[in-house]
Amino acid sequence: MRACETGPVFWRAIRLGVALLLVAASALAEGTPIPHGTLELIAEKWIEKQSLAAGEEFDVGLHFQLEKGWHIYWINPGDSGEPPRVDWHLAAGLTAGAIDWPTPRRLEDSSTIVDYGYEDAVVLVVPMHADLRLAAQKIVQLGADVKLLVCSHDMCIPGKAQLLLTIPIEAHASSPHSRRADLLTGTHESFPGPPPTSWKFSAADAKDSLVLTANLGQSKGLHITQALFFPLAESQIANAAPQKLVPAANGFRLTLRKTDQLLKPIERLKGVLTISGENSNLSESYLIDAPVSLNMNHERRNP
Amino acid sequence: MEGDMKDMKRSTLYPLVVALVLCAAPSLLLAAKVGAPAPDFTGTASNGKTVHLSDYRGKYVVLEWHNNGCPFVGKQYNSGNMQQLQKRWTGQGVAWFTILSSAPGKQGNVSASEENAYMAKMQAAPTAALLDPRGDIGHLYDAKTSPHMFVINPQGVVIYDGAIDDKPTTELSDVAGARNYVSLALEQSLAGKPVATPVTRPYGCSVKY
Repeated sequence: MRACETGPVFWRAIRLGVALLLVAASALAEGTPIPHGTLELIAEKWIEKQSLAAGEEFDVGLHFQLEKGWHIYWINPGDSGEPPRVDWHLAAGLTAGAIDWPTPRRLEDSSTIVDYGYEDAVVLVVPMHADLRLAAQKIVQLGADVKLLVCSHDMCIPGKAQLLLTIPIEAHASSPHSRRADLLTGTHESFPGPPPTSWKFSAADAKDSLVLTANLGQSKGLHITQALFFPLAESQIANAAPQKLVPAANGFRLTLRKTDQLLKPIERLKGVLTISGENSNLSESYLIDAPVSLNMNHERRNP
Repeated sequence: MEGDMKDMKRSTLYPLVVALVLCAAPSLLLAAKVGAPAPDFTGTASNGKTVHLSDYRGKYVVLEWHNNGCPFVGKQYNSGNMQQLQKRWTGQGVAWFTILSSAPGKQGNVSASEENAYMAKMQAAPTAALLDPRGDIGHLYDAKTSPHMFVINPQGVVIYDGAIDDKPTTELSDVAGARNYVSLALEQSLAGKPVATPVTRPYGCSVKY
């Protein structure tokens, strides 16, 4: 019975995150139109009227809001589509980091086509680094030219948006703050993080599949009932193939079918793993970087 | 006695084997795969003709999955690149089929006359455009995107399966510097060499089944 409830709990947590996100966003101004949605550049509030010391970082967000039935893509879009791309135009003294991608969703386009992306609303977070002390300037401007593809099950539409954000900067010392707090109120769990250090992940190359083995060590009582792996790289796993979850000693194994496009063995399996369990409110996503070994039979033949 | 056993085994196993083969057929036996025979199909062209792939044994064949509303397809046609490829290769005796697998009501689903008008306007020059609104040919080849390209050699074997080129974007400006995998496969195979890049990840819009 509890096992039956796990799925909905997982999705409820995701939905709650999205709902909170929307609440956080509703206080902000309207975004720039994109096909079937809006896009807005937002920044952490704490930096307003603060000085920024050299070496200090703050986060900005690309806040997408999409009409029902439309989606954008993760860094690995899966079988089709393409992720949004951003060209930054920044004030002197600022450098943009790489996009921090929230945990994606599996988007089943058809029985044979599965994509990875985001529906409804999402914030792609980009860290900004102050190379110089930004205090003398009254305002700092951040510009972003975004190119993206917005798709539904029925069609795809390319979009472009030119975004501009003006941040007032004054020469007061910066106050304590928690990163991302006002960008992503209540949505921290939709970002993948490093797994607990006691958890060990490894992968085996087993002819037609890659088997990801999770050893959760002493994490007693963790009954993982759902697991889904999102590969960071394209052309590794058959995205539409079911991922087979099997409980194992102290953890589980997840079998991922290889794609025909994978022509060379891979040394590491990198991606995002979402798991949910039947007890506790566990519904988490983790960044995985597992070494890949050849399967045991193969090793025996080639010691 | 032994013969009876064999007969009995055959008679009991036969329906099972047939059932297994039929069930597994679409995914295991007929699926297009590089190095394997290209699955045969019969298609209805926008010019009204019926096309059997098997009639083109002895020629190279290119299959191009198409959706005229998809921006990745637009990149190839608005730059004139796809038409140039069609003219270049059909001019050298290659058969080129543009295949439209969009379901009714979805982007890229068009009538025969609409497709003919599109090809005239774009000066497209495939051997024929095949209307596949039920997705039969699309699923047979597991076509995932528009465009998704296949090259079949004169022996009827798939020698290329994947993207049109190595620039997975919708930018027209990316066409010029791209490595075109279809032309490379045809050039290498015509020169008697193995295809250096026989499988790539197709990119584009999902096929709108």
